[in-house]
Amino acid sequence: MPLRIWNTLCSLKLAVVLASAATAVIMGGSLLMPGRPGLFGAMDRQLLGEWFSGPAAMRLGETWWVYLAAVLILGLGVNALCCFLDWLAHLRQRWRKTGEYLIHLGFVLVLAAYAWGSVSGFRGEEIKVRAGETVALPGMPGHYLRLEGFEPRVGAGGRPLDMINRLVLLQGERELRRETVRINHPLTWKGVSVLAASFGEEATGFRFLAGGAKEIDLGPGSELTLEGGGRLRVLAFHPDVVVRPDGRVVPGGPDLRNPAFALELTTDKETWRGWYLLRQGLPPRLSSAGLQLRPLEPVGRTYSLLSVNLDPGASMALAGGLLLGAGSILALFSYYAKRSRRDRPELD
Amino acid sequence: MHPSDPFLIRSCFSLYLLSALLHLGELLLPNLRLRRTALGMLLLGFALQTLLLGWRWGLAGFLPVTNLFGTLFFFSWSLAAVHLYFDLRYRLPAAAPFTLPLLLLLLGAALPLDPALPSLIPALDTPLFTLHIVFSFLGYALFTMAFALGVLYLVQRRRASPRLPDLADIRRLNEEAILLGFSLFTLCMVSGSLWAYVAWGYYFSWNIKGVWSFLVWLFYAGMCHAKFIRRWQGTGYALLSIAGFGVVLFTYLGIGLLLESNHPLE
Ligand code: HEM
Repeated sequence: MPLRIWNTLCSLKLAVVLASAATAVIMGGSLLMPGRPGLFGAMDRQLLGEWFSGPAAMRLGETWWVYLAAVLILGLGVNALCCFLDWLAHLRQRWRKTGEYLIHLGFVLVLAAYAWGSVSGFRGEEIKVRAGETVALPGMPGHYLRLEGFEPRVGAGGRPLDMINRLVLLQGERELRRETVRINHPLTWKGVSVLAASFGEEATGFRFLAGGAKEIDLGPGSELTLEGGGRLRVLAFHPDVVVRPDGRVVPGGPDLRNPAFALELTTDKETWRGWYLLRQGLPPRLSSAGLQLRPLEPVGRTYSLLSVNLDPGASMALAGGLLLGAGSILALFSYYAKRSRRDRPELD
Repeated sequence: MHPSDPFLIRSCFSLYLLSALLHLGELLLPNLRLRRTALGMLLLGFALQTLLLGWRWGLAGFLPVTNLFGTLFFFSWSLAAVHLYFDLRYRLPAAAPFTLPLLLLLLGAALPLDPALPSLIPALDTPLFTLHIVFSFLGYALFTMAFALGVLYLVQRRRASPRLPDLADIRRLNEEAILLGFSLFTLCMVSGSLWAYVAWGYYFSWNIKGVWSFLVWLFYAGMCHAKFIRRWQGTGYALLSIAGFGVVLFTYLGIGLLLESNHPLE
């Protein structure tokens, strides 16, 4: 009985049946994909395991074929592993087929790695980081990323060309890896990959035309001496604020919508604090102190958006991929040498 | 003179067309000189196309296969290379009436398109991209050859013509085309996965083009085994080669034309 089970698992006919069935199932099912970008697009944004237990489970009518294909391909993987082991057991007689069987082992490794990476790790965590900052690495307690320098490269017409991130991966204070991350050059370390995803500009203050046609930049910490003798200090800048019905001003989102400064005016007699909402103009207290400001444009700094993934199976997949590649090259070149020998299985 | 000069590209097409017509003529009126001229025209067309390809590559600084013109041009070049490999190695002019029309269709479809060299977008600026493309189109070209041999097999089975190769020989060559195509396509998948990993952080994307490329690979992996099963040898194998070519065509052209995909080459 065990021998019969083993022979079935090693059966080449089973391989053909599983491969054909998987091909047919994916062929039919995949035609549903373009029409449901929300559902199937999520397959790239999260781990397959999460997708299987989340969105896919809720819409089984449209996704059942992916589960079935996964079972068939896993079956093919077990089948290929058994064939590989069977070959290994007969290596002396069948060593000429090394290329072909490296392909089988490579497939098994890639499949196992994919299954592993589908149930553990994470996908596409975005982090916003500015040059000089150190941020915690998502999902990896005790690990940090320090962005030592950032330089977006923009071509003619504002077309983004590249994003040069000088990154250091740290465990506590210890430096684990130092890499210049840009398009097609991620930082990789034990299954973690950090990629340059995008970049943006955030407003940190504003440029004004002041009295005497002078241009000045104001941002948190800036100070200005007024002609009347007072001293103005910028306490904070927010690219967007919301004014509550009770008149309270609270910070809004990161986009430049309703920019405002929190200011402090100190004179001999008093200290005044209040908001300057750029869309509404200077508060009367500041105008009466002799301040003249005409907003010109925001001033800001660029930030880098990094995407972080963790796939614990990545190295195994790489090993499998290299075996697939090496096996293919070997199979390709040994084909002609073997053809004359006619040593091939022939099944009814 | 410039490698994107429509005159040069049309000259290449004309040489292939002439060769196809001469091959067809030779099939109707067997004649050694005709056959040699047909092969000569094909070699001349291929030499010119190789020159243009190399020239375009040198000028652009990268293999220019980033738009439909570029891929059609490279696919047709790969098909010419594969056909010549089989023809020169196995004296197989009988395959020409099936491969050359496909070659003409591919190159012909490129003629009305803009041959200007595109600029390289940063995401494609990696040697993995070049490897991925070269292996994919060489693989496709071998699958196209297998298709042609599949059709030739079915024709020969009905006609039993003494002027066409033996069924056993066609079958053997078909198996060779599939194995070589599968090996090269495996290299295409490996280089593509590596590229996906460095570009996106994961090595398999569930976009429709990625899924269908995996299907092409799985289909031909299945064919690598089907040849050992007696029932699938011969006619079954020829039919599978024809069906496989349908899968290839859909993956290469159908998806881009009919569906939407976020594959970088869409
Ligand atoms: C997707 C998975 C697989 C791939 C990519 C693959 C690939 C290949 C390739 C390229 C060949 C060489 C064909 C030739 O010699 O012309 C081959 C042969 C073979 N494969 Fe697979 N295979 C897979 C799965 C399997 C499975 C599941 C089995 C289990 C039965 C299997 C058993 C064999 C056998 C017995 C041979 C013949 C080797 C020989 O000539 O002695 N393969 N396979």
